[in-house]
Formats: sequence, C-alpha cells, structure tokens
Amino acid sequence: MWTFTFRRVLIMIPQILLLSIVIFFLAKMMPGDALTGLIDPNIGPEAIEAQREKLGLNDPWHVQYWNWITNLFQGDLGQSFQHKLPVTEIINQRLWNTFWLSVLTLILTYLIAIPLGLISGRYNDTISDRIITGYTYIGFAAPVFIFALLMLFIFGFQLGWFPTGGSVTPGTVPGTWSFFLSKVYHMLLPALSMALITTVSTVQYLRSEIIDTKQKDFVLLARSKGVSETRIYRKHIFRNSLLPIAAFFGYEISGLIGGSIFIENIFSYPGIGQLFLSSLMQRDTSVVTALVLLFGIASILGTLISDLILSIVDPRIRMK
Amino acid sequence: MSKVPVRLLFFAIVLSLVMVLAACNENSTESDVDKPETDVEKEETEEAEQTDEPEEAGGETEELYSIDDFSNIKGEDETPLEGGELTFGLVSDTAFEGILNYNFYDGNPDVQVLQWFDEGLLTWDENYVYTNDGAATYTMSDDNKTATITIRDNVNWHDGEPVKAEDLLFAHEVIAHPDYDGIRFDASLRNVEGIEAYHNGEADTISGIEVVDEKTIKITYKEATPSLITGGIWTYPLAKHIFGDMNVADISSSPEVRQQPIGFGPYKVESIVPGESVVYSKNEDYWRGEPKLDKVTLKVINPNVVVEALKNGEVDIVDSFPVDQFPDNADLSNLSWLGVTDRAYTYIGFKLGKWDADNGINVYDPDAKMANVNLRKAMAHAVDNNTVGERFYHGLRWAGTTLIPPSHPEFHDSENEGLPYDPELAKQLLDEAGYVDVNGDNFREDPDGNELVINFASMSGGEIAEPLVKYYIQAWEQVGLHVEMLEGRLHEFNSFYDRVEADDPEIDIYQAAWSVGIDVDPDGLWGEQAAFNMTRWTNEENTRLIKEGLSEAAFDLETRVETYKEWQQLMVEEVPAFPTLYRAVLVPVNNRVQNYAIGDGTGIYRYQVGVSAEEPEVAE
Repeated sequence: MWTFTFRRVLIMIPQILLLSIVIFFLAKMMPGDALTGLIDPNIGPEAIEAQREKLGLNDPWHVQYWNWITNLFQGDLGQSFQHKLPVTEIINQRLWNTFWLSVLTLILTYLIAIPLGLISGRYNDTISDRIITGYTYIGFAAPVFIFALLMLFIFGFQLGWFPTGGSVTPGTVPGTWSFFLSKVYHMLLPALSMALITTVSTVQYLRSEIIDTKQKDFVLLARSKGVSETRIYRKHIFRNSLLPIAAFFGYEISGLIGGSIFIENIFSYPGIGQLFLSSLMQRDTSVVTALVLLFGIASILGTLISDLILSIVDPRIRMK
Repeated sequence: MSKVPVRLLFFAIVLSLVMVLAACNENSTESDVDKPETDVEKEETEEAEQTDEPEEAGGETEELYSIDDFSNIKGEDETPLEGGELTFGLVSDTAFEGILNYNFYDGNPDVQVLQWFDEGLLTWDENYVYTNDGAATYTMSDDNKTATITIRDNVNWHDGEPVKAEDLLFAHEVIAHPDYDGIRFDASLRNVEGIEAYHNGEADTISGIEVVDEKTIKITYKEATPSLITGGIWTYPLAKHIFGDMNVADISSSPEVRQQPIGFGPYKVESIVPGESVVYSKNEDYWRGEPKLDKVTLKVINPNVVVEALKNGEVDIVDSFPVDQFPDNADLSNLSWLGVTDRAYTYIGFKLGKWDADNGINVYDPDAKMANVNLRKAMAHAVDNNTVGERFYHGLRWAGTTLIPPSHPEFHDSENEGLPYDPELAKQLLDEAGYVDVNGDNFREDPDGNELVINFASMSGGEIAEPLVKYYIQAWEQVGLHVEMLEGRLHEFNSFYDRVEADDPEIDIYQAAWSVGIDVDPDGLWGEQAAFNMTRWTNEENTRLIKEGLSEAAFDLETRVETYKEWQQLMVEEVPAFPTLYRAVLVPVNNRVQNYAIGDGTGIYRYQVGVSAEEPEVAE
C-alpha cells in the first residue's frame, strides 16, 4: 500500500512540471498582454512601453520562463498587474470563498444524491424511481449556467429568498456570528444551483450500483437465510454500492472547479473562478498561470485521492 | 410489455421539458440578433420607405429615442430626507481591483469606488476647463507656464489632518519615482519642469514645483499649452503624513490603499469586502458642507442581473447601463433615466502606412491599397449610419460627422456634415477615380484593372457586432466594392488591437472606438507621433493644425475653436478614418434619489445626493 502511494505521488512530479510548461506557453501565446487595449489617450505610449519593459514582457521567452519557475519554487507567483498585489495574496483573498462554496456544494451534492440514489435503486421501475431518473435526465441536459441563471431569477429576484450577489452583506464585521451566517446565506443559492446539477451523475451511479448489487449472489444468500430486507439494504447493498461512489469523490473535486467558473460569474461571487475569467480577459498573465496551475494541481490531487481510495477498496487495481 | 410505452412516454415528457427550457433561452437572446439582420436585408429592397417608418417586429412597435430628450441631472422633485441610506451599483462582471487611490488606480471600476470618498483639488466646467469652485483655487501666470494652486483652509483628510501643499508635491514625487508601479507618469506629468531629471535620479527635487506655504503650491511646466487648464495639471494630492515613510513600491499594496483608504471627499470608507462591496459613512467635516446621506453602500452588480436589481430597488443608482436593454425597460415606474452624450465615438479607419518605431513616427505610404482618397470617401458615403443607429441602437447612437464628438460642444463643429449617406455620390466618386467593374462580376476592380478585395477587421463582443459588420459589407457591395471580413470572422479584443497596432498587412480597414479625454487636443490619437494613430496617416497640414491647437495663440478660445474646425474639415477631406457613430450614455436612477447628475460641469456634487424616502421605490 505504501509503495503504491509513494509511486503514485512520485508520478505527480513530472506531471506537474509538464503542466507548468504547457500553462506558461499557452499563456504567453494568448494574443495581447496586460497592457494591450490600454488605450486611454491620456496615457502616452512611452508610459506603456516603460511598463512593459519593467514587467519583463519584452524579455525572450526562456528568460521569462526561468524567472517564473524559479520564483515559483520559492513560493512567489509574481505580481498581479491588474491588482497591483502579489498573486499569492490575491488568490488567498479569493480562494477561501471558493473553498467554502465547494465544500457546501459537495455536502449538498451527497445529501441529495444518497437518498435519491437509494430510493431509485431499491425501488427501481416504480413511479418514484421514474421521477428521480426523470430529474437526472433533466439535470444531464440542463447546462449549469442556464440552470443557475434560472435559479437566481426565481429564488433571488422573483421570490427574494436569497441574496443575488456577493459573498457577504456589506458592512458586517468579520469574525462575528452574523458574519458567518451571512456568508452561508450568500453561499446557499449558488451551492444549491451547482449541487442540483452535479449530483445527477452520482444519483445515476448509485442507482445502477444498487440495482447491480442486489442481484449479486451474496445478497441472494442473505435473503435465503432470512435476513430482513432493511438489514440487507443497510448492511450489504448500501455499503458495497457506496464504495465506488467514494472513489468518485476525487473526480468530483476537479469537476467543481469547472463549475465554479460559471457559478461565481453568474452570482457575482468573488472566488477564484471569477478571478480566473477576469484575469484571462485582462491578460493578467501571472494570475492566469497561477490559477491554471492551481486548478491543474487540484485535478491531479483529485485523481490521486480517487486512485488511493480505489486502491483501498479494490486491491486488484494497485499499480505494480 | 407494458414497460416500454411508459418509458417512452416518460422520455417524451423529459424531452419536451428540455425543449421548452431551451426554447425559452433562445427566445431571449436570438430575437435581438435576428431583428437587426432582417432590417439590414430590407435595406436592399425597400430603401425608399425604410427611413421614416418605425419598424414593426413581432407585433411590437420599436420606439426610437433621442439623447435630446434626456436630462443629465435629476434635481430635487421631492424634499430629501435628513440622512437616509443609498445603494450604488457598480455594474461589472468582474470584481473591482481595489487600488483605491487616485495616484495609483488604473481602471474604471476603481474610480467608481474612489468618487465617493476622494476628489481632485480642482473641478471643471462643462467645457472641461478648470474652475475655482473646487477644493482649491488656481491662477495661471502671464506666460501661462506656472499654475499657483491654493488649497482652501477647511479641506481636511478624513483623519482630520489638513490637506497641504506638500501633499500635492508628494503626489508628483511618488508618481515620478522610478519605483512607482502605476500608469500616471504620462505626457502631461512629464511636462512639469525638472520632473524627468527627478525621475532619472539626476535631481533630488523636482525643480518646477515650489511649496509657497502650507496651502499654496506653484507648479511650472515646460510648455505652455491650452491643454494645461483642461486636465493638464495633476490635482490629486497624496497624504504625506500617511504614505511619507513607505517605500514607493509598497504604497499601492498597502492597507492604507486597500482596506482603509483615505481621501477628503464627502464620504469616508467604513468597511470594504475586497472586490465586492464598500460601505461609506458621511464625512461631517467635508469642506463643502455636511453630506445629506448617512450611509452609502456600493456593491458590484453583474450586468446580467442589473435590470432585476433596479426593478426591486436593490440598487438606487448604477454607474452604467447597457443601452441595448433600455427600450425594454424605458417605462419602469420606479426609475428616472439620465442621459448624456458620451465622450466617445466609433470609427472606421483605413490602414495607410507604417509605424516607424525607431523614430517614433507614423509614416504614410502613398502606395497603400486604401491610399486613394476617393475610394475612402466613397466608402464613407456608402454607409447609412443614422439608420444603423436607429435600427441597432434605437436612436441612442447616431451618425458621426467629425472626429471631435459633440461631447465637446465648444469644439465640435456642428455645421460640418462630415460625409453623409449618399450612395450615388459614392458610385460617382469611384467611377471618377477609375474603380470600375471590368470583368463583369459586379465588383469594381482597382484603376489598374486588378481585382480589389478589401479586408475589414472588427471586434467581437455583444450581439450587434456581427450584424453590424454584415450591414457595412452589404452597403459597400451596393456601391460595387468587395469587402470581406478579415479571415471571415470577428476578432477578439486583444488580438484585434495586437494586429491593428502592429500594422498587420492583412488588414485594410478596421472598425474601432475611442473614448476621448477631457482635453480636446487630438494629438494623442491622430498626431504624427501618436502610436495610437493606427491608420498611420499624417500630413504636414495635420501636424501644423494639431500644433497650432496647442500654441500660444490658441490660448485665445476663438482661435483654438477655429483651428480645430479646420482640423475637423481636413480629416473629412482626407478621410484617414471616418466616425461612424456617436453615442449616448443612459443611467437609471431610482425615483427617490435627489440631486444626482452624470456628465461634467453640472454643478451638482456628490455631497448633495439625497433620498426622499427611507425605502427605494419598487417597480409595479
């Protein structure tokens, strides 16, 4: 087990290095830089050229890459041009919003997925199963950005149950109970919008696992021994069906990142998804590269977690 | 057996649900795109009727609006309350950056945050000339080179310290410091005497700035130009008692800029949630008098939801509003609309030369594809921009005439008609210049008989971008010119400017827009040494007129007006570019808001803004 983990982690190093190179060059290949389109005629071209020089944008690419990667290893991701702040600081400001939003989304995802999957799997081909699978089909079909807009429109504006933007009510004092509540309140609608959509694959997965498992021999055996139906589901089927779901957990994390870009923009929720999109549009290259790297590492870590869980669950797949 | 039909039925239900959802979505976006396109097609066949008849689309009558019907001031129609609270919506799909100091900020979102709690020492009138109504008064010396600025006695920073002359000196020193990381060290600041030497480390002080006493400062400039008093003086002091001990490189990221910014404006910053909201409280010590409101909340509003947020009173005012959404919301009962002519224009430019980077000048190429002035004129005459404005923008954009927009009423030559829509004249001009169809493909060839294909570069963004370009291409086709979209598509903002600025030989003409500064001087956009003059066109007359507009003689307003009239006419005759559209800015304001104005020189200041009811009005 430990050798597997060790090997698995070792493989990540070249992965991340390769990722960093790809990210850096893709970012540099984007047309324009932070100063393109800065066409306020009051700011002379000399001033802009001086800035380019100062930011090292005129250096050859290998110098720029070397500077970037060496600083990276010292924990310095550079300076954001748009925000005039170190990239680490600006990401730190936003990361926690996204982190808590993702945590809440994950919780909601499983809160919805597990009961629905259980009902649907246990009572398959009944009316309640059809309703649930019907919902999952809609969920598969509906793009998250349209669904989120709809949720915002209905629950945010028409009914007025939830705030429609931001991460906290302006003016609340950090550290207080009301600050915490306000944070959760602001997070609820975006998290729910995302969870309702992302949960459907887990529901389906769980459903087919249960249907699969309940026809297995050991279940038949248990039944023939006269074990009560509830007990069979709780002890035998549920546990066995849940393991693959747990393995799915890591991939779920990387999926959340993609979703956060849409969700945060729609709900004006200042997290890293929103930061990513705006930095991309403004060619704030240092922030973009740092964030893609972060997303990439998160995905690699997500698959790592999944692989590890899987290897615990199913020793057959351990790498030789 | 019975299972199959049930499943099928269910599948059908799901499918229809999805389709309904999809259809809802399409309706809202597509109808906007479709309408203009059909309009454009109509123009080919029904030219005679289409100008005066309002369009019928889907049973709805589309109304036309005119900027003349809007005021830019909402005065007092009801008595404002003593106190009260107001919510200001900053419409943006990104968070604001939070560089909350005039000496360091560089973008629009931040300036909206700044305006509530800080201001410049000098204010300007509707012609953008500095007045003596602001926090300081000024006089110019006889040779117009030295400005003496006297700060009023009761102007204090939010922490109670007086705003001093040395704070303004300090602002100059910081901006000119080699470690300064903002973008304000521009041509007008470089005009301060001795500031370059200070910037290069050759001098310890800026020789052109003299602090006379605590509240008086004298700034001497290298060149006296009329532009000095229309935005040429840096008027934003930097609190030396706070920032004086910091390294210049650290100021922009310091908490005194980010979390607890300081100014001397009507409101103080109470708290900031980075990137999303700011709460202000009133500055009772404000020099003009006590502000009306107790509290102002600024928050970022996504453009997708701005209409809803206005309808339910979640925000009272927004800093900007997407004009294309105005017609659908013009009648909202809880809003008043303010309008002003934008300091901006859209234009179509012809690539006529190269940028000589070594010498920093534009070099005109008389052999360029678009070098024939008749061809350029014909292209301008061939397009009907008033109809474009009516059809695409409901009259809230209208045909441009000259390259000084009407937002500068003093200098805009309203008698100059520019190059109005006249396709017959366009054809005639092309015939005269020898552009005729020799091979019978319905497109004109160039005077040497070679096929002429003109590549048109335009930016993507918004629903109107593509139909607009298609309209122009069709209009040019009407006069026999073969114009194609560059590479058959629109180009993303960054790559568009990259290629246009780099004089990509693939590009023959391009459509872009300028927002113009408060100073009318066109040198930065159309001058010989202007890198932003992306047409690369220039001639001696152009250089002479631009120079004259800034000369000693131009201190006489009439002379300056006359000079710029001549320049506008020159640009109409030579057509290196022609303005296509002027535009209106519209901003909705909740009915309870009193004394709010947009635009310049209105004489209404932020401290006067009040509300007439505790709660915002909600749309019925």
